[in-house]
Amino acid sequence: MRYQRKNNSQKVLQIIGENGYIFIFALWFIFLSFKTDTFLTSQNILTVLRQGAIVSIAAIGEMLVMLLGGMDVSVGALLGFSGIVGANLMVDFNLSPALAGLVCVLVGGMIGLVNGFLVTKVRINPVVATLGMMTVLNGLALAWTQGKTVAGSQLDSIAFLSRGYIGSIPFSVILMLLFYCIFYLILNKTVFGARIYAIGNNEKASWLAGIEVDKLKMLTYTIAGFLGGFSGLLQVSRQGSATSSMGNEFLFPILTAVILGGIGLSGGKGKIQNTLIAVIFLMTINNGMVLLGIPLYTQDIIQGLILILALSLDRLHYRNR
Amino acid sequence: MTTILSLKNISRSFPGVQALDDISLEVEQGTIHALVGANGAGKSTLMKILSGALAPDSGEMIFENAPYAPADPSAAIKDGIATIYQELNLLPTRTVTANINVGKEPNHFGILDEKTERQKAASALAQLNASYIPLQALVGNLKVGEKQIIEIAKALVGKCKLLILDEPTAALNDSEIIPLFNIIKDLKNQGVTILYVSHRLKEIFALADVVTVLCDGKLVVTSLINQVTPDILINHMTGRKKIKSAFPEKNKVIKEEVLRLEHLSSSMVFKDINLSIHRGEVIGITGLAGSGKVELGKALIGDFPINSGQVFLQGIPFKPSPAKAKSAHIGYMPEDRKKEGVLEELSVQRNISLPSLSDLTQFPGFILFNKERELAQQGVEELDIKTPSLKQIVRNLSGGNQQKVSLAKWLATNSEILLLIEPTQGIDVGVKFEIYELIHKLSAQGKTIILVSSEISEIIGLAHSIVVLFNGQIQAILDGNQTNEEEVLQATFGK
Ligand SMILES: Nc1ncnc2c1ncn2[C@@H]1O[C@H](COP(=O)(O)OP(=O)(O)OP(=O)(O)O)[C@@H](O)[C@H]1O
Ligand SMILES: [Mg+2]
Repeated sequence: MRYQRKNNSQKVLQIIGENGYIFIFALWFIFLSFKTDTFLTSQNILTVLRQGAIVSIAAIGEMLVMLLGGMDVSVGALLGFSGIVGANLMVDFNLSPALAGLVCVLVGGMIGLVNGFLVTKVRINPVVATLGMMTVLNGLALAWTQGKTVAGSQLDSIAFLSRGYIGSIPFSVILMLLFYCIFYLILNKTVFGARIYAIGNNEKASWLAGIEVDKLKMLTYTIAGFLGGFSGLLQVSRQGSATSSMGNEFLFPILTAVILGGIGLSGGKGKIQNTLIAVIFLMTINNGMVLLGIPLYTQDIIQGLILILALSLDRLHYRNR
Repeated sequence: MTTILSLKNISRSFPGVQALDDISLEVEQGTIHALVGANGAGKSTLMKILSGALAPDSGEMIFENAPYAPADPSAAIKDGIATIYQELNLLPTRTVTANINVGKEPNHFGILDEKTERQKAASALAQLNASYIPLQALVGNLKVGEKQIIEIAKALVGKCKLLILDEPTAALNDSEIIPLFNIIKDLKNQGVTILYVSHRLKEIFALADVVTVLCDGKLVVTSLINQVTPDILINHMTGRKKIKSAFPEKNKVIKEEVLRLEHLSSSMVFKDINLSIHRGEVIGITGLAGSGKVELGKALIGDFPINSGQVFLQGIPFKPSPAKAKSAHIGYMPEDRKKEGVLEELSVQRNISLPSLSDLTQFPGFILFNKERELAQQGVEELDIKTPSLKQIVRNLSGGNQQKVSLAKWLATNSEILLLIEPTQGIDVGVKFEIYELIHKLSAQGKTIILVSSEISEIIGLAHSIVVLFNGQIQAILDGNQTNEEEVLQATFGK
């Protein structure tokens, strides 16, 4: 048998494979642009971005944790619980929005720190540790609100965060871009970032190279907590209220976006900008199907299929040997 | 004689590298055929193509008079070609028995036959004179040398006609090689053909019938072993570039103690180690696999528990941990390159700079990429690391070049004490002496080098004093200028 050089179609397939979901995203984007009049309007694009803001900011934290080779499944519950605490302080204790917001973020950070402690010092598997945390937080959220919605005119003062505009650009979109720029720099230009990648790549080798792995991990889980807490605040601002279950809807899109964006489950690999693109992709899937007038149940099916297709393309090039 | 395997015009490239360039080669049935070449010459790539782990870009292969194009390693094994890769491929969390039988587990209708499994594992180990390895031990807990034996046992369990060994002795001591050689010769007498890759020319001449030299992906020459000399082979390997082949003259040690070990013990592994180590000293630690030499090295960095005794650094008690060692300017090059030495998915540049990274920053922690690049470039040049660019990820380098990366990153630090475990393992003869020069240069600058090695010639050539461990205890401390290989070797056996 003779071996042949790789032919061109294989090469094209490889290029597509290496940029799997971005390719599908592009196709979907072009399709929507032609198929609907409303998709490619600045109004609609900004809406999509605004919907993505909260998910994308929390996704940064998840991404950092997964880069380390860890995982945080409590992110949704953390977001919800911190939001409730913040809202509750404003509505029932008349705390100033700035102070309540700060507490909200700090609560998130504290929870993240506990997650990090469980993972590094107690050495519980990250999924299990944060699953436990998720359950605890969901229970606490229910107990705290007693199942009622926390709402009040006091929350209007933070409405700007999620619903305000600077010029014609939603403030939350600006926040999102700001966060991504900051964390892009942190991950790519600083020693801290370099160490996150190093640990995710080979924890033992990093430890032997003198990196204080446990400290760095705890710090990362804490940062993820801060980001989750802040996202909780944004969610309260967007809804104008807080409910015990408001975090639940976030876990799935956050995890999906981070994985879709190419952060492997074993860590050490991936780019932050791809996480952002993946969040936006997820948002356009929903948005596009609403615009196309597709019935709700079909939306779920299509959403699932697009995700699987994008992920398969992404894995394709790993087979190439 | 019949030709068992022939390769015709095999080529394979990777981005930026022509790893194999039009290789044509015939291997005779029942011979030991050696393959040599500098780091990155393409030896492992060729072996991977034979074992089905890689496909060539072009060319064809004929095995036992039939076209041979294995789709994957399991196809190659079915055809009778077993391979022991340079990088060990074991399941660390499974037992010795499970590892030896993996992929060919004896079973009745899918139900594992554990008894036969154990028997097969035991007989394979017995064949290797390695029955001392417990069948129930987890492979992850074994030493590199023992893992190597498990790999060979694994190949023995299958029915193999062609056995490929890619640097099987890289981690073994001179005396541990002998039983392995006996096995290889035995297999040859049973009609098994052996393809043998090694950087140790001494082995090649002791073992091989035929030798093929690769250089930069091209086949330079195939010759009967008795028609060449080591010098001729080296000339072919390096493309007639002049290489160093003498140990640098040792410099004087400054009588200033930097490190003292007092009654250092670790449960059963090493006992009552007392040592005084000075500035500018190269101290060699050697011994058989299982003598505790590697564990002693690891303990000094905090990667192995110390149960009693103390370490003093400049007279002050020191409780080892990698982070503390780093702030005390102690560099550590671990033995298991792939698992502990390099970050495979990161670039050559980042790998080399990693331990120095905090010195290459400006407020508030931004990396100075120019400086990082310079540092890495220097390492690449000093050790002649073969890579298409500094941005190449380390996984894509050849085994020896990965080893060089893992050494370069410590040479780049400003370490006062360097703890090197098997630093030249898998490194080609052309560069080995460059590394010896570097070690010598560092010691001349007053740095202390702790060199844990199973290569006795290297220890004698470099070390001022040689510590020989036997069963976890110091058997002898020999003067590096006075002793000879025989004396060191005897000591490793406890004599
Ligand atoms: N997966 C890969 N991707 C890119 N380049 C590769 C890959 N595998 C090998 N190479 C390159 O191909 C060349 C040959 O590598 P190979 O591993 O065959 O060398 P070798 O002769 O076994 O060297 P060593 O003695 O160091 O083990 C090297 O330059 C290496 O960098
Ligand atoms: Mg090799």
